Amino acid sequence: MSATLHLRVPNRIEELPGVSEAVEALGSEEGWAQDTTYAIVLGLEEVATNVVRHGGGQPGSSEIEIEVTSSDDEVRIEVRDGGRAFDPFHEAPEPDLDARVEERKIGGLGVHFVKVLMDETSYSREGGRNHVTMVKRRS
Amino acid sequence: MNVQVENHDKVLVAKVEGRVDSSNSQDFERQLQGAIGEDVQAVVIDLGQLAYISSAGLRVVLLVAKTLGQRNVSISLCALSDPVQSVFEISGFNRIIQIYDSQADALAAAG
Repeated sequence: MSATLHLRVPNRIEELPGVSEAVEALGSEEGWAQDTTYAIVLGLEEVATNVVRHGGGQPGSSEIEIEVTSSDDEVRIEVRDGGRAFDPFHEAPEPDLDARVEERKIGGLGVHFVKVLMDETSYSREGGRNHVTMVKRRS
Repeated sequence: MNVQVENHDKVLVAKVEGRVDSSNSQDFERQLQGAIGEDVQAVVIDLGQLAYISSAGLRVVLLVAKTLGQRNVSISLCALSDPVQSVFEISGFNRIIQIYDSQADALAAAG
């Protein structure tokens, strides 16, 4: 059994809570574990937020295409956008997890969450579009 | 998302409810910073009713911790659900901000 959620949303931060709701509804229908749902909603928010903030275009000027496919053993999340080329897994700064509170910087934390919480991540640039894939195995 | 504030002597308890994400983190920052008065000696952020937080919300917690640190006001978090706790652990914030199991534990330590 598998189910796929396909969404196209304008590149605006205000669109993202609706994406989270739709993904949670899919998780509920498909019986994802609570921590699996959290990881997927979080991973998608972090990647989509990066697209909106760093994609380069004006908010609302382009679309983010999201596909979430839930099967028995894994959930595959694909995010495509037409913004400038940006590989979040290699170009985002690495957070310094050992810094003291005064010195701690916030950059890169979202991508760090994705790397830790997902079982597989990949990035490619295809036909002038960014394509991020995340895979979460169901526990 | 909503922040409710209670004063326990000089300890301010801020209870955060709902979801904090990139769409409302600025509002979260305004509510939290606005709630912290000049004469507090300690701040306890109760996350017992927080269903979800992403890096945008963690950024606000870090900003508040830095601001309070400069004023020598202590800050702690309490009552995190398991998924919220794991996000704080993955970020390393559990090593720079005290986290207690319950509000009572946090108040006992702050008082």
